Amino acid sequence: MSNATLESGDSDELEALFDSIVQANQGSAAPAAAQPVAEAIAPAVAAMAAGETGIAISADDLPEPASSMFSKIGHLTRKLHDTLRELGYDKSLEEAAAAIPDARERLAYISTLMEQAAERALNAVDAAMPLQDKLQSNTEELANRWQQLFDKKLTVDEFKTLVTDTRSYFGTVQGASKDTSAQLLEIMMAQDFQDLTGQVIKKIVTMAKDMEGHLLSFLVEFASPGKRVESNSLMNGPVISAEGRSDVVTSQEQVDDLLESLGF
Amino acid sequence: MSDKNMKFLVVDDFSTMRRIVRNLLKELGFSNVDEAEDGVVALHKLKNGQFDFVVTDWNMPNMSGIELLKAIRGDASLKHLPVMMITAEAKKENIIEAATAGASGYIVKPFTAATLDEKLNKIFQNMNK
Repeated sequence: MSNATLESGDSDELEALFDSIVQANQGSAAPAAAQPVAEAIAPAVAAMAAGETGIAISADDLPEPASSMFSKIGHLTRKLHDTLRELGYDKSLEEAAAAIPDARERLAYISTLMEQAAERALNAVDAAMPLQDKLQSNTEELANRWQQLFDKKLTVDEFKTLVTDTRSYFGTVQGASKDTSAQLLEIMMAQDFQDLTGQVIKKIVTMAKDMEGHLLSFLVEFASPGKRVESNSLMNGPVISAEGRSDVVTSQEQVDDLLESLGF
Repeated sequence: MSDKNMKFLVVDDFSTMRRIVRNLLKELGFSNVDEAEDGVVALHKLKNGQFDFVVTDWNMPNMSGIELLKAIRGDASLKHLPVMMITAEAKKENIIEAATAGASGYIVKPFTAATLDEKLNKIFQNMNK
């Protein structure tokens, strides 16, 4: 209704009434609601702009225990944040966190390559072993027959067969040796993973070292001194470094000695 | 001497290790070999087939070698089975734990064919006593 009258402008009286209502609204209702909020916010905004904690100030309105708790958390958070930034840890921790998925993928890659290599080598061994077994048994058999000849136990016909068999045996040896050599080469080539995994492992070692450094200095800065708890599990996997450790064995002899000392 | 037809169960979560042990046993004249990838599968196979010897790893998912050993020793129909542990676990505690749980032999990885041969023969000697 008021829009229509304003646009048409045909009633000064109505327009004046409208203005007076608007003015009255601005004068009473709006300031009453808006001003306290602005007043309350102002110091906090100023404090935050100055780099101090905003939480401590607005927490004044809260009951005492909650207020001091909020205040403490606020101070701590700010302190942590500032220190991290000052020392450059925010960046380094971010980098460390980002490096973990990368390292995980690299390790998975190493695991795959090693498994493939092991399979390849074992396949080659499986292929070469029967060849060698065959050569061994053939040689044994021929040697026995030649021994019989020297013992003068062979007939002329038997001797003729022996010579023919021996001749064809040379061919067998040639073929089997060639095939075995090929399998040996295959075993050698299966070791090519070492070059690739070596490079990847070096990268991960560097990354772990960096991460350790960051975390260590971070802990030194913030953690309360506590005892390092040794893990006491029975599933530790291979011992990586036995130097200076008396709780592990380093050879089968030590296992045997220990078992013997226990009466086994 | 040992019976070359005796049936072995090789338990390890890595297939390559199972293949290596299988090949070594074959080399020593034992070609009757079955495999299992953890203690749970092993126990199931042991209960359903006539096995004469168990060679097991320690660190495996689902059921570890030591748990398998204890389960075997706790089962009236299986407790007579020789159980040899071939494992990378090299803490003295591990060896003591295995021995007290009733392991017949303990070999630390990496190991040689000669070690396996020697330990097997020792177990066979004890079995024949």
